[in-house]
Amino acid sequence: MSDKKDDIKLLLVDDESDFRQALIRRFGRRGLNPEQAGNGPECLAVLAARPVDVVVMDVKMPGMTGIEVLARIKEKYPCTEVILLTGHASTQDGVDGIKSGAFDYLTKPIEFEHLLSKIGQAYEKILREAEKLKEAEFRAKVEQQMAAAERLASLGTLAVGIAHEINNPLAIIRESAGWLTLLLKRKELSDFPGRKDFELALEKIEKGVDRAKRITHQLLGFVRKQGSAFTQVNLPELADETIELVRKEALDKGIAVELKVEDPVAGIWSDPYQLRQVLLNLLTNAVHATAKGGSITVMLRPLKEGVQLTVRDTGTGIPRENLGHIFDPFFSTKNPGEGTGLGLFVTRGILGRLGGHIEVESSLGQGATFRVWLPQRHEPGIDSVQDDYANILKQIKGEQLP
Amino acid sequence: MIKIPTRVLLVDDEVDFVEMLSLRLNEVGERVTPAYSGRECLEILGQKSIDVVILDIRMPGMDGIETLREIKKRFPLVEVMMLTGHGTTETAVEGMKLGAFDYLMKPADFDELRLKLENARKRKDEQEERIRKAEARLLLRKSGDI
Repeated sequence: MSDKKDDIKLLLVDDESDFRQALIRRFGRRGLNPEQAGNGPECLAVLAARPVDVVVMDVKMPGMTGIEVLARIKEKYPCTEVILLTGHASTQDGVDGIKSGAFDYLTKPIEFEHLLSKIGQAYEKILREAEKLKEAEFRAKVEQQMAAAERLASLGTLAVGIAHEINNPLAIIRESAGWLTLLLKRKELSDFPGRKDFELALEKIEKGVDRAKRITHQLLGFVRKQGSAFTQVNLPELADETIELVRKEALDKGIAVELKVEDPVAGIWSDPYQLRQVLLNLLTNAVHATAKGGSITVMLRPLKEGVQLTVRDTGTGIPRENLGHIFDPFFSTKNPGEGTGLGLFVTRGILGRLGGHIEVESSLGQGATFRVWLPQRHEPGIDSVQDDYANILKQIKGEQLP
Repeated sequence: MIKIPTRVLLVDDEVDFVEMLSLRLNEVGERVTPAYSGRECLEILGQKSIDVVILDIRMPGMDGIETLREIKKRFPLVEVMMLTGHGTTETAVEGMKLGAFDYLMKPADFDELRLKLENARKRKDEQEERIRKAEARLLLRKSGDI
């Protein structure tokens, strides 16, 4: 749809062929080229082939009347406006038409200029409605994004608060279980009949505490403030060291890990510990997702203003429906107890703080590729939780991070 | 080898935690004195010989860092191990810059705790040993003058 009036798409429906031809000639002189139809069904057929903006239609037609056609048009093409033409003695038809959704009606014999201005008005109404619809859609989208961002932000705040508070009782549970374990080792309890059961249960408590501890520590890692840990980082060296950390696990599973460095990768000014955490998270995920005989490739490529770090695996891949969620907190497809669902959430949080960003590309069965962009130099802003959430907010809104 | 008990002062406002960890450390041969606030910690240090203080960072009233400063001012030879229940590693590192021996994150691994306790005690013993030797040399020199 264009806003130039010359482009108005028009359909003229009247059972009197002569009347139609006369009108079309006059339209033609004004630069308009209406389609035409001789009756109701024909009109609907034309619309089905190519919808128009404005329909000018006679009410009195054999077979389907204009009012009936109008109802069908409004049902199927709510954006199309209809101007009815009524006989001199039947203004009632026109009124009924407006009630059924016609833009207006004109009485035959019509005054051409009058018809033209009505068409113009109808077209303006269409433009206004389209604008309103677009605005409403935009507002709904923004509101939805804001709601998602706020939900995530408040979820994060809440989760961190909980993590803080939970560590203390966790410590109490751990110490109590540890104390009981020690007690069971006392000589006088060596013949205690239920000892094995107690030991089993205590072991389970320890395991449970470990699991909860991993969650709380990762959550706290997400908001961990940054000290002055920024320094010159040699990425190839850091990548090499980090790969060594997972090498054994990878070898045990029969997975090859390879580092490819495209020269020259210059040193970047960043936080090596946090970068190592990022790479370690990505590598651990890759090792977990890849089966025997697979491979993991870490690639470093220089960019104009930074470095691109890629971790590609030949693993199970990520199904499309999960791609949008893998960076959400607590989203995990691993078995309970194996993953906290925080690894990638934390990874993205860290990268936001380091001025970088991360993207994923994957499909089921095709492995996954995580691409990380790191700036040559990033001056950390005011370190605060708010900063992280602001970044998340930006990411949700689809903005590129600086 | 006979285990020489480390004299530990465990400071945390979480009463249950102090109670349980004390029992556990005592069971493996350490000698634990409990304290539930920074103020109490300093009082006890004034009365008892202590090797290592295990100090929670977050406490109401006088917090861990404040207590640490005071300990290092008044009892510089006592080793301090920071215990953080809320992931503020930065605070723990700050503590180490102020003279704390090391830090542990709650809930701490018991073996790790014991290892760090052992090392802290060793450092204190060595320091005291050096002081003794230095004093002996001082004494020797003085007597040598005669």
